[in-house]
Amino acid sequence: MKDRLTDSLATAIEHGRTGLDARMQALSGKLAYADTAYALPVTYAVTGIAVRDADGAREAYRQSGSNLLVACECLMAGEGGVEIPYTGFIPDAVLRRLGYTLVDGSVTGLGLLVGTPESPDAAAAICREMQEKYLLTFLAGGVVEALSGAGVRLGLDYRLVPLGPESARGIHFADILARVAMMFGGVQPGDVHSLLGYAAERAKAFVIAFPGLTDEEAAFVDALRVLGIPILAAGEGYEGGEWIPVAPATAVRTGMDLRGIRVTVTAIPIPMACSPAFEGKSIRKEEMYVEFGGGRTPAFELLRMRPREEVKDGMVTVVGPEVDAVPAGSALPLAILVDVAGARMRADYEPVLERRIHTFVNYGEGSWHVAQRDLIWVRLSKEAVAKGVRIRDIGTLLAHKLKAEFPDHIDAVQVTLVTDRQKVEEMLSEARKVYTARDERIAGMKDEDVETFYSCTLCQTFAPNHVCVITPERPALCGAITWLDARVAHEIAPAGANQPVPKGETVDAVSGEFAGVNRFVKKASHGEVDRISLYSMIENPMTACGCFECIAAIVPEVNGILIVSRDFTGETPLGMTFSTLAGTIGGGAQTPGFIGISKNYILSERFLQAENGIKRVVWMPASLKEELGDRLREKLAAQGMPDLFAKIADEVSGGREHDRQQ
Amino acid sequence: MTDSSEPGPAVREVRLGATRAEGGTREVSYVIGGDRGLPFTGNRPDRLLVALEVCDDPQFSPPVVRDYVGDLANNPDEWARAAERTYGADIIRLNFTSTKQRGFDAFSEIAPTMERVLAATARPLIVEGSSEPELDSEVFRRCGEAGEGERLLLGTAEADRYRSVAAAALAYDHAVIAQSPIDINLAKQLNILLRETGIPGDRIVIDPYTGALGYGFEYSYSVMERIRLAALAGDADLAMPVISAPADTLTVREVREATPAEQDAIAVAWEFYTAYASFVAGASIVCVRHPLTVKRLHEALEV
Repeated sequence: MKDRLTDSLATAIEHGRTGLDARMQALSGKLAYADTAYALPVTYAVTGIAVRDADGAREAYRQSGSNLLVACECLMAGEGGVEIPYTGFIPDAVLRRLGYTLVDGSVTGLGLLVGTPESPDAAAAICREMQEKYLLTFLAGGVVEALSGAGVRLGLDYRLVPLGPESARGIHFADILARVAMMFGGVQPGDVHSLLGYAAERAKAFVIAFPGLTDEEAAFVDALRVLGIPILAAGEGYEGGEWIPVAPATAVRTGMDLRGIRVTVTAIPIPMACSPAFEGKSIRKEEMYVEFGGGRTPAFELLRMRPREEVKDGMVTVVGPEVDAVPAGSALPLAILVDVAGARMRADYEPVLERRIHTFVNYGEGSWHVAQRDLIWVRLSKEAVAKGVRIRDIGTLLAHKLKAEFPDHIDAVQVTLVTDRQKVEEMLSEARKVYTARDERIAGMKDEDVETFYSCTLCQTFAPNHVCVITPERPALCGAITWLDARVAHEIAPAGANQPVPKGETVDAVSGEFAGVNRFVKKASHGEVDRISLYSMIENPMTACGCFECIAAIVPEVNGILIVSRDFTGETPLGMTFSTLAGTIGGGAQTPGFIGISKNYILSERFLQAENGIKRVVWMPASLKEELGDRLREKLAAQGMPDLFAKIADEVSGGREHDRQQ
Repeated sequence: MTDSSEPGPAVREVRLGATRAEGGTREVSYVIGGDRGLPFTGNRPDRLLVALEVCDDPQFSPPVVRDYVGDLANNPDEWARAAERTYGADIIRLNFTSTKQRGFDAFSEIAPTMERVLAATARPLIVEGSSEPELDSEVFRRCGEAGEGERLLLGTAEADRYRSVAAAALAYDHAVIAQSPIDINLAKQLNILLRETGIPGDRIVIDPYTGALGYGFEYSYSVMERIRLAALAGDADLAMPVISAPADTLTVREVREATPAEQDAIAVAWEFYTAYASFVAGASIVCVRHPLTVKRLHEALEV
């Protein structure tokens, strides 16, 4: 409580406190509410005392540290009831239903309107907006009559609950919060700490105060702030305190923003079902109506954060031909550009949210997606296109899903889908710059700088016991999640697929074995894998799901290592293609001598350091050499081997390589 | 089993139903779970429960069940009474199939149906509430309220629609079925989501989804097995008992196309072998729909 008595609201509150104090001392008789198992609920929740009479009330008030909510409740319990249509104290049975709607999300938050509005119409507009936003609104004071006069229908069915004719009846708002916390939040009577926690995090509430509160009423309303409830002053007379002045027209919006209340829509308006049940279903070539990327056409996806005013929420734009403009079996270029905005959005969330495009597109019954960034491959099935699914619907699906799954971080999403070849090619180089910038963000970080790695078990749908362990110097084997991304993903979804892995004691620094990692992997692999080495492909190598960008394999004849990337379709010097090798090592098994890796891991200082790392590499496809190009040359030069790059064989310079023995 | 004085991790115990002493009106309540080993390695068989389904709208029952139960199908309370007394079900699974109708709005019928069924049987109830996400809020609240004090097992929570079921369970003190699409990680994630709403772990039963024998059951079997192994390895988020409802078994082609003379026998056989295999995989409750399957399962469990 502030001690500046010079300004009006603070003065009023102090006056009110003195008045309430005096009335508490004079209080007498029995105190009770009807039809509740929680005595005087606020007092019970705060102090654990079930108050029955005035002496008990004074003792509870004292124990609460002169909490004004306790005082107001005790005083109110000593007064009589109210006439219909006012509800007064709400019995437990009714409250259970109200609390239910709050927990189940059909009510998004709670509002209390007190005082007497200058303009009944403005107050009516506030109520309409609160109804539209699924808020449950309680009314106390002159506002009730003003609304009735303006023709607003009141009652539980309308989510507008008139508590009483005096603003002081607003105390029932506090007893509702207290009982919801005890009924639904497991808050024990007397546990103020968890009561405050519940009120702050779960029961999202705000107050709109119209003019005309008495000093005691102002003191009571102000006391609600301890519960984390912001007080919005919609009118004159409340300057000089902690109340937030608002224009009536922006009051609801402000309250919702302050409490992070959002309205979500679950049904996605597209002509195809959308559920995780369809996630594992692939669309074969014969079932495919149109495809994008996958080597046939240029395609990429990019999610970026934008200022709020540049994102028109829900807008989906298609640039270029729609799918019904091409015959069945066609391939179109594709750029999936997702722009998101949100008060709590951060640029380093971009890659994590972008990775979800893969999941969400696969949720569609007739849409399919593999890989990431500029390697994506998307298909729409004939069946889906016949039902009216267009590429536009993928945009709608993404816009809805991103908002629904990340309500705390995303306030608005717009999606642009480009199928015009020239435009896609133009934008592709821009997108690649973004990808490179993201990769560089983590480039300077070392494994020894951190105490915690992160796991990724996204692929356990396909490979049930596979666990990726992601370190600053070893990205996920799919190449799409760096250590930073995983950390962010964990922040966004604490129960999700990326969990912190404490390194624990170092078992072997060279092969990268850590006690904490082993403990984690054992648990997350459901007991299948006891030990993994992060920097070795021979001793307890990491398991692989099937999403790896590359495979590294021992070439026994030359005692060297070859690396083959997914895009290389020819035979490797081992006599096996990428897909044959992939079939051998995937599925969550440990296969000594073979591992799945990301491209960026090849450039890492920790790259297979137990096997002497990059020095051991004898073969890569030309395309991979070209892609790593300058970055790899630089790395080798820095290690004092400037001519090694040229010595790494490829399918052009020789399928079998004998020259490069150590 | 070892004699170690430090017992290893166990599946949590979940109480279903409430006797008068427990605040309800059931003649019996059950505690399922509590297992410390693999199924049938020291399990107490009285913890394995057979549920028989009763629908409030018979048109969504499989034809073979409708034909067998006849007029009972039009009276869920009579059907529930027969499920207990004639067919010997341990627990009644009341399925509000009426909510599958297009444009369902008979919300006022839910509480009376609940009350009639609760009055007709003294066994605990599994209540499958809403079939449509947009009905969830209205339906689950009424189911929960009408069963207050009876510790129902309320279904079904899924990853993208669990709030209403959870709210009803919290408000009226029931347990919840948490269903995931044959995926151990989604099962775990849903349990975590439910925990975050405030549902205690001893009021969650996992439904890993059960396919029909010959139509994908092996996936369900393997997930149930893995959930149990994870629980025994100490994963508290998966240490809940499992319920299996092989609902598709009575609509497979072999049952649909059986001759009238053989139809009941084939339906019961299909359901029995699927459900029994679920017990073997670790389920604590199996839900069946053909009345004759109940006895067959009880006989098999006694051996």
